[in-house]
Amino acid sequence: MDVLAQLAHGFEVALTPLNLFLAFSGAFLGTLIGALPGIGPVNGVAILIPIAYALKLPPESALILLAGVYYGAEYGGRISSILLNVPGDAGAVITTLDGYPMAQKGRAGEALALSAISSFIGGTLAVIGLTLFAPYLAEWAIKFGPAEYFALMVFAFSTLASLAGKNPVKALIASVFGLMLATVGIDPGSGVPRFTFGEMKLYDGVDFLVVAIGLFAISEVLTLMEHSFMGTAQRIKVQTAMVSLKTFMASLWSILRSSLIGFFIGVLPGAGASIASAVAYTTEKRLVDREGTFGSGDPRGVAAPEAANNAASGGAMVPMLTLGVPGSGTTAVLLGALMMFNVTPGPLIFEQRPEIVWGLIASMYIGNVMLLVLNLPLVGWFARILTIPRWFLVPAIAALSFVGVYAVNNSAFDLLFMTGIGVVGYLMRKAGFPLAPVILGLVLGRLMEVNLRRALAISGGDWSILYASTLSKTLWALAILSLLFPYLVSLLGSRRRGLTLDE
Amino acid sequence: MKAESRKSDRIAGALLLLLSAGYGLEAMRLQADFLADPLGPRAFPLLLAAALGLFSLYLMIKPDPDPDWPPRRVLAGQLGMLLSFVVYSYALAPLGFLLATTLEMAWLSRLFGADWRRGFLGGLGLAVGLYLIFVFGLGIPLPLGRWWPG
Repeated sequence: MDVLAQLAHGFEVALTPLNLFLAFSGAFLGTLIGALPGIGPVNGVAILIPIAYALKLPPESALILLAGVYYGAEYGGRISSILLNVPGDAGAVITTLDGYPMAQKGRAGEALALSAISSFIGGTLAVIGLTLFAPYLAEWAIKFGPAEYFALMVFAFSTLASLAGKNPVKALIASVFGLMLATVGIDPGSGVPRFTFGEMKLYDGVDFLVVAIGLFAISEVLTLMEHSFMGTAQRIKVQTAMVSLKTFMASLWSILRSSLIGFFIGVLPGAGASIASAVAYTTEKRLVDREGTFGSGDPRGVAAPEAANNAASGGAMVPMLTLGVPGSGTTAVLLGALMMFNVTPGPLIFEQRPEIVWGLIASMYIGNVMLLVLNLPLVGWFARILTIPRWFLVPAIAALSFVGVYAVNNSAFDLLFMTGIGVVGYLMRKAGFPLAPVILGLVLGRLMEVNLRRALAISGGDWSILYASTLSKTLWALAILSLLFPYLVSLLGSRRRGLTLDE
Repeated sequence: MKAESRKSDRIAGALLLLLSAGYGLEAMRLQADFLADPLGPRAFPLLLAAALGLFSLYLMIKPDPDPDWPPRRVLAGQLGMLLSFVVYSYALAPLGFLLATTLEMAWLSRLFGADWRRGFLGGLGLAVGLYLIFVFGLGIPLPLGRWWPG
């Protein structure tokens, strides 16, 4: 009952005219950003932070806007997947498999409507999950000491390493690189400037926003230079997006199962919308694809990944809000944004700043309804966005990045630094280093060091405190296990292959 | 079968090893006047340096196959883009937001295949639009430039 009372307070926050407007703007911009190939949720959220900051919004309002962009983008990503066979963002890659074939058969309107409804169901079920689980998780996490926190963060990095990208070592390198960036600036424990090389501008540390926009947006612009072709839709006509009740009912179980899968995968650190949609799709294919229609325009193949990726983005909010440990690049950027507003998510936030958490959760219920309404009748309008020519779109992303970063400090140094980070991000992408761990490292670095030093201050310098309690032992074990996981899988896989060869 | 080249990861590993060494040396020099905790400002960075050193050695021993680096034509475009970003960063204050952004956008549009006329018009529209949004909508001042009268 307590949860319901809290949620009611959340709705009081979310239903103020300003916050309603921001939830709508977030949902609208998110759909747009998701629909445009080239800007995914991370870029969109990062580019909008300076604007939210400049508007001097209260933290809960800023979070409502930015989170709206995040989950809205998962709705938008499907539009270009279905119409152009070009995924609008990473979470919508799987949607192309059956979405585009459906469009080719002249069922584009149906695919768009079904995927919008699936997105709505997945998104809403995830918010319900968030409402139910988050308070308990937070209550449990309050008991964490510094040693447990340190172990938890190690666990987050190791799951991210084993799940993001192909080579875990590269993800680990990316994490350490992010943590190193976080050590730049005055050491809070002793007041000593570290790695500043006498540059006054670095005393406050590396600017989170400059790194986030450089790493994601600028490197994206450099990557887009490579693709000589990007689908620009010339003649897209989507009349009405409607789906028959029969088709919908046939997909309902797929939607519900995929929502569950998506939510739990989203909660796991490191695994986001793209993994969730892939797992949901393969599960459904195995379970219900009796006639082998998956891949040639089966509605269930559109519904499953869309329900899963929206549920995953809701699930990803759970560890970010309750533990202060984000599990994905976008939630790490959201966490960084909250820190700019002097709010530190974590178990205490539920007691100290309930208006932020519950306001956000309530706004997600509202936002999902808005998104459904936006995405059913207006989908034709959003589809027209895809006709923006590339020569305008890509420079516009660059311009938005530059003006946003410049607006915060009016500093040419920041712009140059952002460009430099953009080059690093581009090289990392090319060489197969995932970017999300860098931002996670930057956001968590200080917290990780502070907790390590606190733990050792308690023990008087005895390192064994880090694995003294059962909980921290468990977390270390899980961390090591998740790092070994990919190797175990390939080991088992090769043995199985060996067996079949023997037969 | 042609042996795959794995040079990129070896070079990356070597550079990262250098980074970890430089970072570690810089961390060694750190000294606090008083110690509030047993670890001090050095320990965490040294841990990171050691971790990066190990990982980069591993990367050099077990590198992945090289990615497809872009052809020279694309590379030239990317360089032209990066140079323009540097010039733009320095030119923003003296030229002013409107002029600098219009020129920069025209140049970028050109790199992405538009002709000069479209690039200029698109750039001008974008610059004016962003200026209106930021200065009048959000109340964030953007420079008009030193050549602007008054």
